[in-house]
Amino acid sequence: MIQLKTMLNCIDNSGAAVVECVNVLKKKRPATVGDRIVVVVQKQRNFGPESSNNSGIANKVRRGDIRHAVVVRAKKEMQRPDGSIVKFDDNACVLVNKSGDPIGTRMNGVVATELRGKQWSKILSLAPMHV
Amino acid sequence: MATFSPILRQLGCLRSIAKPQSLVSSQIARRSLTTVYTPKQEPVPLPSKLPKSFLSQIPPRQQPTNGRKKLKVYPAPPSSRTVCKDPVAAVTESQLTALDPTGERKALFDYRRNPRSVKVGDILRVTFKNGDPFSGVCLSIRLRGIDTTFLLRNELTRVGVEMWVKVFSPNVESVEIVQRTEKRKRRARLYYMRQPRHDMRSVENIVSNYLRQKSALSGQRGQGGRGRGQKRRR
Repeated sequence: MIQLKTMLNCIDNSGAAVVECVNVLKKKRPATVGDRIVVVVQKQRNFGPESSNNSGIANKVRRGDIRHAVVVRAKKEMQRPDGSIVKFDDNACVLVNKSGDPIGTRMNGVVATELRGKQWSKILSLAPMHV
Repeated sequence: MATFSPILRQLGCLRSIAKPQSLVSSQIARRSLTTVYTPKQEPVPLPSKLPKSFLSQIPPRQQPTNGRKKLKVYPAPPSSRTVCKDPVAAVTESQLTALDPTGERKALFDYRRNPRSVKVGDILRVTFKNGDPFSGVCLSIRLRGIDTTFLLRNELTRVGVEMWVKVFSPNVESVEIVQRTEKRKRRARLYYMRQPRHDMRSVENIVSNYLRQKSALSGQRGQGGRGRGQKRRR
């Protein structure tokens, strides 16, 4: 249930830590796993105290940037075709560019397998684990 | 001006009193004259042998059918209750025989009757048909016939993940008890374990430990894992 003003964790190394949803694309309902959304970067990730001076290299996005993102985890439980239900403890997303490629190169954190059915296999292959 | 108005009013009032008095007296006079009682006229009965062509001319109330069409009454359809008294139970039964012919799965989760069944708080490991396993603490068992499910909770990469699994789903290949709960839980649903204070965090260590021990015993005792799980406690 990701909609306007929802705060999500960003789990890639693009430099964003917390982002806020400002729009759900191609849908009139709240977004769930595999949906594309528009986000504003609210908090940047700092890669250690030393790298703060060269954060321009590490962080591909800055605070206040408007980006596209794909939801990879949702608190709202989702039902699989076989009847089992999966839910996560947080809402998380991965930043992507306009053409749909992930901005970051690494991901930390488990993602939902529903991404495969929605043509996000690239994100799924980057993820360390999927449920 | 103010002095004249009451006089005018009085005159108008007198006139109005004078007028209806004559009317009232005439009414009383008329009433006193009507003293003869005339009985209500008997309705003329219709001729018994009226040709059918005349029936349409008389009002519908006086027609022999009393203006109503005769409705055809159909008998009630045969009740399906006599055929099958409890169809839901019958469907459940047939589904259970198809999906769980040995009754093993049912016994594994029937915590009300089977003392050796899965209890809430146990650590379970489920293997699916497509090969990927899922393990976690059992937070609740929902006994609903063929729709029986259990809820597993685990922490993967420091994110809590919960999964409801259908017990009799053909996608579920095996359910193993990795570790029994140390003490019987006094709740049927352990939803409080979602709170950070009571959260068990990751159970991956316990599961991998169990798998190592299982492979050391050449993995032949698939069912024996239950007994060993009981012995091995933290």
